[in-house]
Amino acid sequence: MKRPLAPRLTRGILLAFFSAIFVMYVFGPVAWLVSSSLQTEAQITGVPPNWLPPTPSLANFEAIFAASDRVVTYENRQAGEALTSTFLPSGAANLLPAMRNSLVVGAWVAVLNLLLSVTAAYAIAVIDFRGRRATLYVALATRVVPDIALVVPLFLVIRNLGLINSLGALVVTYLAITVPFTVFILISYFEGIPRDLYRAARIDGCGHGRALWHVYLPLSLPALVASVTFAFLTSWNEFVFALVLTQNVAAQTLPIIISGFIMDFTTSFSFVNAAGVIAIIPPVLMAVVFQRYIVSGLTAGAVKG
Amino acid sequence: MARITCAALTKKYGQVLAVDALDLTIGHGEFMVLLGPSGCGKTTTLNMIAGLEEITAGRLSFDDTEVTWTPPHKREVAMVFQSYALYPNKTVRENIAFPLRLRRQPSAEIDRAVAAAAEQLEITHLLSRRPNELSGGQRQRVALGRAIVRQPAVFLMDEPLSNLDATLRLSMRGLIKRLHQELKATFVYVTHDQAEAMTLADRIAVMRGGLIQQLDTPEGIYERPANLFVAGFLGSPPINLVEGVIEGGAFTRGDWRLPLATPPEEGRPVVLGLRPEDVVARTPGLPQIDARVVLVSPLGSETHLDVLAAGGIPLTLRVPKDWRAAVGDSIGFGIDPARLHVFDKASELRL
Repeated sequence: MKRPLAPRLTRGILLAFFSAIFVMYVFGPVAWLVSSSLQTEAQITGVPPNWLPPTPSLANFEAIFAASDRVVTYENRQAGEALTSTFLPSGAANLLPAMRNSLVVGAWVAVLNLLLSVTAAYAIAVIDFRGRRATLYVALATRVVPDIALVVPLFLVIRNLGLINSLGALVVTYLAITVPFTVFILISYFEGIPRDLYRAARIDGCGHGRALWHVYLPLSLPALVASVTFAFLTSWNEFVFALVLTQNVAAQTLPIIISGFIMDFTTSFSFVNAAGVIAIIPPVLMAVVFQRYIVSGLTAGAVKG
Repeated sequence: MARITCAALTKKYGQVLAVDALDLTIGHGEFMVLLGPSGCGKTTTLNMIAGLEEITAGRLSFDDTEVTWTPPHKREVAMVFQSYALYPNKTVRENIAFPLRLRRQPSAEIDRAVAAAAEQLEITHLLSRRPNELSGGQRQRVALGRAIVRQPAVFLMDEPLSNLDATLRLSMRGLIKRLHQELKATFVYVTHDQAEAMTLADRIAVMRGGLIQQLDTPEGIYERPANLFVAGFLGSPPINLVEGVIEGGAFTRGDWRLPLATPPEEGRPVVLGLRPEDVVARTPGLPQIDARVVLVSPLGSETHLDVLAAGGIPLTLRVPKDWRAAVGDSIGFGIDPARLHVFDKASELRL
């Protein structure tokens, strides 16, 4: 029997209402970022705000890619007209190099994080050795300490290593953040793989390396994709350590440069928003590319279900 | 072929002794079954032979080579698991070929070996499928294929038929027996199913509490159980056990007086074991026991009778299908003293 109309209608309306709120909450800022990146400074600051660009224009993006050709000095920085978005913040030329830095650091962190975490997680999840649980807990315990508390000691260590203002300093630091979490995720995934598959692999002729390669990795694709995404995004978004450990365009990453635009004497909203759009492109691309690999149920049929 | 020698093989998990100084020699081409209830140490023993469990103490040798510390992938053993343990991301062909690929054999040779194994197991038509598209019986055939394709000297099987339904179990049992005859390899087979053990084994090692209770041929285990545990573990319906004492060279309890062929000393408390099928119709010259029928279970080929024997002792009897009996009937049956098993009550050992 069908439920009466009134409760079904109420239910539908409520669902639609709260779904709409949720979507607005999550996508609102992103939508405004994208919209305003296509507007001029005057349009962005106009009251009432223009939710959609009245005259969509890519001028802000052009400004970013042209920034490296212009030398911005104290004398000429006012020459541009803020209202027509020809105004440029002093660090504008650093934006593209910073993006390159972010990509390089993110790629290294994603790759090294995967290599370290996969081998560590395999050892802890599969090989029976004394202190395997303790190893994991100690690694995870380091992540309980707030990053801000680690900044100064870490700065001293990195400085003594002579790595200040290098991409390597960031890679090493970010790995310390991502590896414990990734190991934790991978361990629970590996432990979900039937133990008999490991036994069969060993009997069939796999040492640990080949058991990992032939059995565990193919069955862990979703977890591996998640690990890569997590590591890359952590690195891409990280701010505090990058702020302290890098000093100039040789190693500064996007969050540092973009935040620098805002703290400038004058803020060019149009320029910052265009930079923001560029900054979210790699993570979004990553999510789009990888989401189709995140398939569960790969282990179905391994053992009697 | 290989001879497997376990010398004082021991496995401890923390303080728990899983296998206690096990001595066992499995001959070339022998079919050895490790039989016992769960937790008896049979699977642990198998895993130690495979190299999947570290050996706490003792020595393990294949032929004259010690392999106590050899990792599993260097032991040249093949194994079949209860859970089949097929690689879900590989096709049947890739599953069977996997051990050969790891050994870097030439492709043409691998293809030939896989085709031969598939034909032997009648799974040629399944080669391109993935494990999740197969039935339980088909999966276990693939697992067998993965084992035989390597032509190993030693086959280890850990309850390979326990996940299959009864009919399939019967036909797979035949298949495994045939494989053993064709391959002439050494088989070590773990099971808790006495029918599997009896039908497959050259010799059975009955285990309990990490110890071998008896090591003998299936007939020997059944006909001459070494102790009460072995006597009770084999046989369906299980053996009838009656406590009593020895008086005048006979087993005595209440109205019961069964003269024994080779009686133990007088006055000893014993447990008498009577297999349900070891009763005969009244025969002059044989001791007789009277009983009242409580339950009749006809199985078609035979009939099981639950009776209350003289002195209120419950027994289960296995009689030919033409014995007509109804609940409440009084019956008498004869017992051949040569078929009786007598165990010491204190030590539970056969006398």
